[in-house]
Formats: sequence, C-alpha cells, structure tokens
Amino acid sequence: MAEQTNLKLAPPPRSLERIPLVQNNRSIGWISDQIAQIAEGKTPMWWWLAFIPSILLATMLFVMLAYLVSTGVGVWGPGHPVMWGWAIINFVWWIGIGHAGTLISAILFLLRQKWRTAVNRAAEAMTIFAVMCAGIFPVVHIGRVWFGYWLFPLPNSNSIWPQFRSPLMWDVFAVSTYFTVSALFWYIGLVPDLAVMRDRAKTKIRKFAYGLFSLGWTGSNRHWSNYEKAYLILAGLSTPLVLSVHSIVSLDFAVSQLPGWHTTIFPPYFVAGAVFSGFGMVLTLLIPLRTICKLEDVITMRHIDLMCKVTLATGSIVGYAYGMEFFIAWYGGNPFERTIFMNRAFGTFWWGYWTMIACNVVFPQLFWIKKFRHNLLLVWILSIFVNIGMWFERFEIVVTSLYRDFIPANWGYFRPTWVDIATYMGTFGLFFTLFLLFLRFLPVIAISEVKGVTPQADPHHPLGGAKGGHH
Amino acid sequence: MSSHGESEKFVPLDLSRWKNLPIVLMVLGGIGALIGLAVDPKQFGYSWLLAFMFAVSLCMGGFFLTLIHHLFDASWSVPIRRINEHLGAMTYQVLPFLFIPIGIYAMAPAIGLHLPSLYPWMNELLTNPAAAGHDHALQAKQPLFTVAGFFGVAAFNFVMWFIFARGLKAWSLKQDETGAAECTLKMRFYASLGIFVFAVTLTLGAIMWMKALMHEWFSTMYPVYYFAGSVWMTLATVYLVAAILKRQNGQLREVLKQKQFYFIGSLIFAFTVFYAYVTFSQYFIIWNANMPEETFWYAVREKGNFWDLGMLLIFGHFFLPFLSLLRIDAKLTLPVMVPLFVWAWIMHFVDLEFNIGPTPHPNGITAGSVALDLACLAFMVGLLALVWLRNFRAHAPYPIRDPRLAEGLDMYVAPSDIATAPGHAK
Repeated sequence: MAEQTNLKLAPPPRSLERIPLVQNNRSIGWISDQIAQIAEGKTPMWWWLAFIPSILLATMLFVMLAYLVSTGVGVWGPGHPVMWGWAIINFVWWIGIGHAGTLISAILFLLRQKWRTAVNRAAEAMTIFAVMCAGIFPVVHIGRVWFGYWLFPLPNSNSIWPQFRSPLMWDVFAVSTYFTVSALFWYIGLVPDLAVMRDRAKTKIRKFAYGLFSLGWTGSNRHWSNYEKAYLILAGLSTPLVLSVHSIVSLDFAVSQLPGWHTTIFPPYFVAGAVFSGFGMVLTLLIPLRTICKLEDVITMRHIDLMCKVTLATGSIVGYAYGMEFFIAWYGGNPFERTIFMNRAFGTFWWGYWTMIACNVVFPQLFWIKKFRHNLLLVWILSIFVNIGMWFERFEIVVTSLYRDFIPANWGYFRPTWVDIATYMGTFGLFFTLFLLFLRFLPVIAISEVKGVTPQADPHHPLGGAKGGHH
Repeated sequence: MSSHGESEKFVPLDLSRWKNLPIVLMVLGGIGALIGLAVDPKQFGYSWLLAFMFAVSLCMGGFFLTLIHHLFDASWSVPIRRINEHLGAMTYQVLPFLFIPIGIYAMAPAIGLHLPSLYPWMNELLTNPAAAGHDHALQAKQPLFTVAGFFGVAAFNFVMWFIFARGLKAWSLKQDETGAAECTLKMRFYASLGIFVFAVTLTLGAIMWMKALMHEWFSTMYPVYYFAGSVWMTLATVYLVAAILKRQNGQLREVLKQKQFYFIGSLIFAFTVFYAYVTFSQYFIIWNANMPEETFWYAVREKGNFWDLGMLLIFGHFFLPFLSLLRIDAKLTLPVMVPLFVWAWIMHFVDLEFNIGPTPHPNGITAGSVALDLACLAFMVGLLALVWLRNFRAHAPYPIRDPRLAEGLDMYVAPSDIATAPGHAK
C-alpha cells in the first residue's frame, strides 16, 4: 500500500490519460466467461480452418524428419564451404521467438509491469512450442538420432564424455534447462485457472482432467500464499535463463575466430534480437486472436501499444549492434573482417542483408508514431516483417560468413534443398498445431491475474477494495 | 493540506549543511592536482582524463535516466527526474570546460609543452608522421583518428548534449509553470531523438577518449561496458542524493516514498548484473578465441597490481553488490545502501583505473599516480556538486506539475477533478 501524502494533485489531461488494462468496466464474472468460453462449447469453424492446414504441415515435418533419418543429413543443403545451413538458422530463429514468453512472464513480473497479465499466458505457450520447434534441428542434425542421448554427460561403455568446451554442448544444457523451467513456470501460472475451468466443466472427462491438473486448488489463502511464493521464485530463476539461453546461442558463433562471427557484442545483441523476434511473433498471434475471440477489452490497444514500444526498443538495440559490427570491422583494420562485412552488404547475398536492415531496423522505427502503433493491420504486417527480418539476420550471420572462405578456391554458394524448405515449413505446422490445441483446451489469458489489474482490485480506485463494486 | 500546484510556493531547500562540501573538495583537490601537475606533469594528464571519464559517467548517466523516463512514459520516476535532469545538464554546462586540459594534453607535442601526447596514436601522428604512416592500426582508422577527427568528435558530442539535455531540462522547467501536456509531449520528442544521440555520443566518447589509449585494440562491446558501469554508478548516486534530500525539511518528503527508493535499488541490482554480464562476455569471447590482436589488452592488465584491480572488480563490482542487494528489503535499508553508494564510486574509479592506468603505467599503478587521480577526481566532483546544487536550488525540487505525478505516488485522482485541479493545463 502506498504511503500517505498530503499533496493535492491534478489528474493527467485527457491527451495523456492511460487506457485501462481492462476496458469498459468489465466485471470479474465477465472476464472468467469471456476467456473460459474459448476453450468451452462447440469448436468454432475458424479453429478448424486453421488447424487442418497446420496439422498437415506438421505431418509433412515428420515425413521430412523420417526421410532425413532414413537417408542421412546429406538431404539438407549444408556442404563445403557452408557447413552450417538452414538447420542452425532455423534453430536460432525459433529459439529467439521463444524468448518473449518468459521475458513477459518473469522479467516484466519482477519489474511490476501489470500490463503483462493479458498477454503472458499465450506468450509463454508460444515460448514452449517455439523451443520445441527449435530443438528438432540440433537433435536431427546429428544424423544418428538414436544416439542423441550422448549429448548428455552419461557414463557409457566407451567412457567417452561430451566435449564440454564446445558451445554446442552448452546449448544442450541451456536450452533443456530453459524449456524445463519455462514449462514449469507456465504450468504453475495455469493452476488457479485450471481450477476455474474445472469448476465450470460440464462433462465428467473435462472435470476429471482439469481437476487432476489443478492439483486440488481451492483458492484458499494458504494456496494463494504458496502460489505467489512459487511464482516469484520461478520468476527469479527464469530471468537469468532468458538472458543466458540466447547468450549461449550467440557463443556458438562468437567464440570462434571466424570473421563475421567473432565479435564481443554478440551476447547482448542476440538477446535483444531474440526479445525483438519474440515480441514480433506475440503480436502476429495476438492481433488476430483478440479479434476472433472478442478479447479487445482484455488485450487492449494499450497492450498492443506497449508491445510495439518493446519491439521498437529492441529493434533499435539490434540496429545499434549492426552498426557497431560494421564500425568495428572498419575500426579494427582486419582486412578479412572488412571484406566479410562489405560482402554482406554488397556481395552475392546483398538482398538478404538489406531485407534484414529494412525489416529489423527501418520499419520498426514507424512505431515511434502513435498513429501507426494503433493501426492494427499495420502493426500486424510489421510484426511479420520482424519475423522475416530476424530469419534473414541469422541467414546473413551463418551463410555470408562461410560461403567465401579465406582462399578463393574454397569459395562457394549456398542453396537450400527442398527438404530444408519443407522441414522449415513443417515446423510452422507443428507450432500452430500446438498453439491451436492450447487455445482450444486451456485458458488463453491468465484469468486470475487479469482480475487483479481491474479497477475493482485496486484499493485506491473508487470501485476497488471494500468500497463496493463488482464482485 | 498543502497544494503544490504553483512553483512560486516552493521554498528553496535548506542545503546549508552541504554548501561547503563542494568548495572543500574543489580546493583540496585543486591544490593536490596543482602539486601533481608540478611534480609529474605527464601523470597529471592521465589523472585528469580518469576524473573526466568519471564525470562523463555521472552526467551521461543522469541524461540517460531522464531519457528512459520519457521513453517508457514512467510515473514512478517523476519525483527523482529533476535530480537526473540537473545531472544531464552538466554534460553541456561543465564537461566542455573539463575537456579543455584533455585537448591541450592531446596536442602537447604540437604546442611546445615538452610532453608526449596523452594518446600514443596522436603522439605518433604529431611527432613521427613517417612511423604513423606505417602503423596499420592507425591508418585503418583514418580520417577518424586525426587531430580534426578527435576534436570534431568532442565538438559534436558537446553540441548534441547542449541541444538535447538542455531541451529536456527547459521543457521540464516550463511544465513547472504551465503544467501543460504539451511539455510532456515535447520532452518525449527530445527523448525519442535523444536516445539515438545518447547512443552515438557515448559510443564515440568511450572510443575516442578512453579506448583510443590503446588504439590497436578493438571490441564491439566496449561502449556498452562503459555505459553499464556509468549508469550503475549514477543510480547509486541518485539513490543517495534522493535519500539526503528527503531528510531535509523540504517538500520532497511528500513525493519520495519507498516505491521510488525500491525501484532505484532494483535498477542498481539490474545494472550490477548487466555490467557483470557484458564485462564477462567481452572477456570470455576474447579469451576463448585467443587472438593476439585482442588478447594483448587483457594481457597487459594481468601485470603488476592490475591483476589485483581485475580481481577487485570481479568480486567488488559484481559479487558484493549482487549479494548485498539480493534481498528485497536491502533496497530500502539505508545502512546497506549508503555504504553501497560509496562502494559503487570506489568500484567505478577502480574500473576506470583498470582501463586508463596501463597506458602510463604498464607495470602497475603507483601510490603517487592514485593520489593524483583522486585529487583530480575530488576537484571535478566538487565542481559538479557546486553546479548541481546551484541548479537544484534555483528550481522546484521535482516536476511539480507533471501529469504523471499522481500516478507515480499511487494516488487516484478522479477525472471529474480536472476542471478544478491546480496543476491542470489550461
């Protein structure tokens, strides 16, 4: 509770008034109904229209993986001199997308940013599914996937241990830890809402399933107290994980001596890029979702506006990193470094570089203007540009640093194979299949948390506390 | 009930207990610096540079905190914004004058001072152009690493800081009189461009004034590293200044609440981690790649007592404040936070010593060089404190009619009050 003050202060003028986090004075009951109904009742037509192509694409992914495992990793495009191709690009891209959820849930929670409540659940789900898509690539790239468990330091008959000095090994630990903690964090946050779903369930199966996973939640003071403690601890644990995962992914490149990869700014630059792409994907998913599911009063324009600002901030940080890379390539005087960067911008793959610059640095600057941040169609298009731009960023880092080796005789070109393309498209299928199943069976917004940011829950507000209001 | 709707109702804070401190620091530091100049004129240049970079950290830290306040449309930081605005204003009020000796020392061989230039690359350029022509690291940086480039960057930085830090402060003071929303919008406009200006000028300053002491070395992380340490130290300073001001019988008591101190404490904690993160990343990537054109910078910092300074930074700049601030209540406990502020200043000083010291003293700093560093620092801090206090006394101690003030204090003000509220824009 705030300390007392004797000041008499003015309210903000109308032009600076904030949009409430739940609009139109919606009651607490309305919030439960509106969010829970998405996972209740008859499956809507739009859901099937989205789900069928998604599951088909996901099927294609598994067909491609079966083809790769049965044939060998040679069905993918990498080869001399570009020994890393789409697999690592897609891995880094999906991992990056998987950063927004835990950032919103953990870091914004620790920073007391109440607006996170409307978007954290969907963003966390997105994180988990994105990390699952990411994990596919390193696992299958080893070729003999049945030996995948060798990545872990398990005693084995040959007494061969993983190479701990390899950043790819660090990835194994970082990503698996991140996935575990993110899933746990997501599930803990779901418990009170699963109990709501249980109490509303009309069929025995739903009642049993939600009852099982809500862990006997009754909403008692003791439950809430334990829940809040667990949530805070998990937020504290998740925060360094958010930063560490993409920092470690960046080290896959930065600890090498290769021009274009070896640069000290990579860890924070990758983290900023990951948050940038993660928010891009959150916007891509939530803008249509809020309209289709009639959630405009919960995912308000204020939420969209704030997410645009985070996208703008992280995009600008990424732009700074691009600038510093170029500047230091010049400043350092290393001719190989200079050549790589000039080649990125003006060489064979110039189109990829300028697509990256346009999508990641130039277009997000439109978000400085409020009118654009409040134009949903434009924001949605720009959010897709962010995803495209961030894919090209990884493409530029991987391919343009490799395709011109130090000796011209080793110069080459990179082309993805149809298996590369189909596998990547397939991960979209898996991602959207999982996300649509999440929409259909779980509360897409944290019901209990949104109720906590209504005016009724604010003791300083005339509608709040014991002053009377909607209950 | 007191109303703070109009700026003229404010009585300047009683800062008489502190008014002599800046003068004492200036006099003692100035005498020490003059003795140092007479005894070891070469060292004086580096000591002055170290103190100058400390002053840049503090002023740019204040400028940055003002910028992000507007960019995030924050409300909790309204009560401390004036502190930051006055710190930021010294980027153009004080720093250009403090830079003059650095400019003179940089040009020393060319103006008959019988001293080498502060910067080895400039010395080469001025005294041995033939050797400079064969210095690949120097030639690669043309035309930035020239006399014109060096002074051009300084002029650019000071002009930019004048435009943006002054603009932010001027509109803030204007809002004290009018309470108009237009002032907030103007400040946001300045902040939107100002953040780019901040990034570019801080980068150029860190590179041209400090990294250039070893011009062969390069790291993309370096400006971020300087930024992280600077904001960390500034936050600790703002915490202490706010705590002192709150103890005065001034109106700041009404607005500086637990919330403000907790959030500043949280930011100090965040920047403790951020500094460690960028510092470790830079070191680790260079160590792991093990390329001589990069590792030499760290290799020279493992000689003599620079090794000890490095250890002190690892444990003192990260572990100690990290563990001290981990508990929520520590951020509100003055017996923790006041020593931490002193510690933050010491650590930032050590960090700058770690960066600047190896150029004049490749085998380790000496007691004499540290004493001169401290004398120059005392003089500059005294001067900064004098100017800051003068500015602070001349205006309301916080943005009294900022539209976000009520929200920042967790007060609900009904919109129906709009017509009668004293701070409302006409």
